[in-house]
Amino acid sequence: MSRLIPEEEYGKKPAGAFRQWMSGIRDPYLGNVEVKARAGQDENEELLKEHQEEVVSVIRKVHDVANNSQYILFRKFYKAAALICCLTLTVMLLVTVAYLPPVGSADNPAHNEVAAKYIEDGLQDTGAVNIVTGMILDYRAFDTFGESNVLFIATCTVLILMRNDKKKGKGSAEEEEHRDSFYEPKADKILQTAALILVPFIILFGIYVILNGHLSPGGGFSGGAIIGAGLILYLNAFGFEKTERFFTAKTYKWVSFSALSFYCIAKSYSFYTGAHHLESGIPLGTAGNILSSGLILPLNICVGLVVACTMYAFFALFRKGGF
Amino acid sequence: MFEWIRFILGTGLLCIGVATFILEVFGVFKFRYVLNRMHAAAMGDTMGIGASLAGLMILFGFQFVTLKLALVLIFLWCASPVSSHLISRLEYITNEKLEKYCEVRSEDQNRRISGQED
Repeated sequence: MSRLIPEEEYGKKPAGAFRQWMSGIRDPYLGNVEVKARAGQDENEELLKEHQEEVVSVIRKVHDVANNSQYILFRKFYKAAALICCLTLTVMLLVTVAYLPPVGSADNPAHNEVAAKYIEDGLQDTGAVNIVTGMILDYRAFDTFGESNVLFIATCTVLILMRNDKKKGKGSAEEEEHRDSFYEPKADKILQTAALILVPFIILFGIYVILNGHLSPGGGFSGGAIIGAGLILYLNAFGFEKTERFFTAKTYKWVSFSALSFYCIAKSYSFYTGAHHLESGIPLGTAGNILSSGLILPLNICVGLVVACTMYAFFALFRKGGF
Repeated sequence: MFEWIRFILGTGLLCIGVATFILEVFGVFKFRYVLNRMHAAAMGDTMGIGASLAGLMILFGFQFVTLKLALVLIFLWCASPVSSHLISRLEYITNEKLEKYCEVRSEDQNRRISGQED
């Protein structure tokens, strides 16, 4: 590209300045927006006095709340407006409540054919005694798959923001964790004893909630949260050295990946055969047994694993920046 | 007659528990220092919950719910004092002006007392 005028002169014109700004050579803000310290403030006493008076007058004008008529007016208006807003909202909500149908009446709009279908055919279709689990892991299994993936994606985002890859030296994960928890009581005997008693029962209870998800209230999400809480308690009591023996980033990666992909493959197969009216070959079993209701039990286990790993990973990432 | 005794015992324990909770809330808002407030809060978490759950257990009688309530009680009694203990330990480590608020043993006294125990 040939140019008639040299580069320096071209840069003074608007088009040239724009081009230079676009290509990153020139920054118009650099050196023009910074606040500079007043030169010679300490020597010149008159200037100093003037400056002090200025500061005092600003403080008097802005912070003299008792005599500032505008501010007093604003406070009064604010209180009145807040009162009017709250009263209007209260009256509106109360009027709306008065128009709602009574609780439990048979002709409520919630009691339509959708709920009736789930309650009547739920046990027969899914084989799950707990209708809610039958709904979220059979009729709407795709939705639950999305939720499990949301957890996985959330962990990935936290990993991007919080991960600390440095192994040794200043700024490494170990050093930062040590600095953050400098004042925390470490290796506390009372906490360790309590954790030693409680953690096995907490994790056992979580496993029970997951495995019994299709028979009693509970399921993958709540059971996984219980197991995750147990792992976090164990980590708090005994530190990262103990937990990293059995739970590292590699474990997290493989458990999450295999659980999510098993869920995806199993449910794709089930949906494919269901949509084409084929025999899926998955027995529903007797309702009420532990080994029943087809795919719901393995899917519950998958969801529980993902939730437990996610809870633990969140804690470890925020605490140390890696695990 | 037996029913009446059970009812009075259960409601009495429940009332003790609720009264402890009222004291706890009052103490948490009345006191200004961490350890005092923690003492008030831990009182409700142990005595208040213990008394009210015992009252409920007596009112329910011999059922499966009673066993569940007992498990809840054991769990809370394990969890809440431990957390109070951790808070107090953190306060002890981080507060430099602890002598202003409570009696603190010096190193010498500590050594002497532990020596006597040995």
